[in-house]
Amino acid sequence: MRPLVFALCFMLFAGCQPGETQSDTSFTFVQPEHFPPATYDFERNPVTEAGFKLGKRLFEDVRLSSDNSVSCSTCHQQAVAFSDPQHRLSLGVEERVGTRNAPGLFNLAFTSEFMLDGGITHLDFVPINAITSEVEMDETLENVVAKLRANAGYREAFQDAFGEDTITSGLMLQALSQYQNMLVSDRSKYDDVVTGRNDAAFSAAELRGEAFFKNNCASCHAGVLFTDQSYRNNGLAGDGAQDAGRSLISEVGTDIGKFRVPSLRNVSRTAPYMHDGRFETLDEVLLHYRDGVVSSSTLDPGLEGGIAMTSDEMADVIAFLETLTDWEFVQDPRF
Amino acid sequence: MKTYSLYFFLFAAALFAFTGCDDDDDISPVLEGGTFEVEFENVFGPQDNQRSFSLSDVGSTDYGFTNSMGQDYNITFLRYYISEVVLEGPDGERFEDPMSVSATGAEGYYLISADDPSSMTFDLENVPAGRYNKISFLLGVDSTGVQEGAAGGSLDPATSGMFWSWNAGYVAFKIEGQSAASAGGASGNTIENTNDKGIVFHLGGWKDIDGTAFRNNNQRVTLEFDTNASVGAGLEPTAHLELDVDAVFNGPETTIDFANSNVNVHRPVDGADMAVNAAAAFRYDHIHQ
Repeated sequence: MRPLVFALCFMLFAGCQPGETQSDTSFTFVQPEHFPPATYDFERNPVTEAGFKLGKRLFEDVRLSSDNSVSCSTCHQQAVAFSDPQHRLSLGVEERVGTRNAPGLFNLAFTSEFMLDGGITHLDFVPINAITSEVEMDETLENVVAKLRANAGYREAFQDAFGEDTITSGLMLQALSQYQNMLVSDRSKYDDVVTGRNDAAFSAAELRGEAFFKNNCASCHAGVLFTDQSYRNNGLAGDGAQDAGRSLISEVGTDIGKFRVPSLRNVSRTAPYMHDGRFETLDEVLLHYRDGVVSSSTLDPGLEGGIAMTSDEMADVIAFLETLTDWEFVQDPRF
Repeated sequence: MKTYSLYFFLFAAALFAFTGCDDDDDISPVLEGGTFEVEFENVFGPQDNQRSFSLSDVGSTDYGFTNSMGQDYNITFLRYYISEVVLEGPDGERFEDPMSVSATGAEGYYLISADDPSSMTFDLENVPAGRYNKISFLLGVDSTGVQEGAAGGSLDPATSGMFWSWNAGYVAFKIEGQSAASAGGASGNTIENTNDKGIVFHLGGWKDIDGTAFRNNNQRVTLEFDTNASVGAGLEPTAHLELDVDAVFNGPETTIDFANSNVNVHRPVDGADMAVNAAAAFRYDHIHQ
């Protein structure tokens, strides 16, 4: 009976995505078993090879910016987990200085609020912010769509991806989401250890670092995604005066200086750190948590007085954080 | 492989049979429905003393309107979203306009643009035959519409001019213009912050979160007719509805002073009172049967 059920299920699946072949498997979103369920609605926008490739092309295309100088990949580079290693505050068209350091992009399919202030609640809408921001791409969606429509290669690529003889902002955003949803980082040493893959095991220092992390960091950098996706003020000096963070969206004073807790996956690759890129190394970050936390009315209560740690403990924590680097992800030829 | 083919055939046959049943059930009621046209008109002033409304050019100092505080103004931009349209009748008739969103279209979401006469009317299709004496709609796009993600048609952010990128969602109602009383500094779709007479009011916000300042400024509007509109064979009524533009600035929740109030409204919390005004500024005028 089992093979019959399996066969029927397989048929059913195949039937839902007509025209796909076996070779597309590597361009299909795969839910990692040890991750929470994806929040993105893949029924509305299933990943296909043609859609993914179109999304990648758009992600890397400077046409998305007003003077054709900046693409998404300008500030989101694969080698550093799609973060921006070059500038403390990321630069847009005409070298305009932004207000934040572009964060790494991965595991977006499991995220329900985007940007460091959580102002966007659907992945499809995220690129609109970057395209229209004056300090990023400073372009209009209308113009981007016009540029794409004028290009025969894009007309063909959209036709292949969506089967419709048209290019709209909606289809462009769906293609970008297909690409970004595929950026799943679940192949780090940490993942190998927790899933029992490849006979992986932590070293003694990594084990000590993990224990310290669980006791002192994991209440915010929680779970397998290493973020509880909440908004917190981690006590940065001068904060709130320069970037109000979450309160820009929630419009309440109690959120001033709060930012989304970032995932720590690939953290050893995504320097500089904090929303404004003020720290260049993980050592500096840990020193901040040990000695630099500034008290304020919105400081996270768990950080009052900082986190006591010895130099050895700092070294252990960094050893543990380095197990979160997903080398296959940052070198994946599909991306 | 043979086994698979056999099962696939059986499965396909079953699927076909299933689909067939559905079709049979659906066909007849659809044919009985009729069309009900909804027409919006932007006007100035109360029903017993109203004037026609038209947009002014940006930069124009020809102020055709005067508000309740005696301040002269004109309007350069006026758009709003109508969705979740429901018709109800005296005999229990009820029609809910179907809604759906895709990357290339949006059904049941209507963008009324003062600069586009063709946008001022829309047809409700397949309305069951019967009498209707009430229409209600949402002024705005609710969380369901936002969370559908990328959208086309009236919701297409590339063409609508009604999407917020920073606090992502659809703005329910936008009105912009110039007032002799304004100190300027406002910025919007037609008004730049260098315009020293600009007034800009973007009324948006689509979610309430308990214990926070998140505002859902989408308002439900219900308008009763003074007669029954009949849908049936050869009967395709039009409900003529009006928006009193002046009442947006002078309504049940707030009176806007172009000299002293905030005339550059973008944050949901700042637009909450005016959103109630805007909803109250709609009225029923008449039915064309």
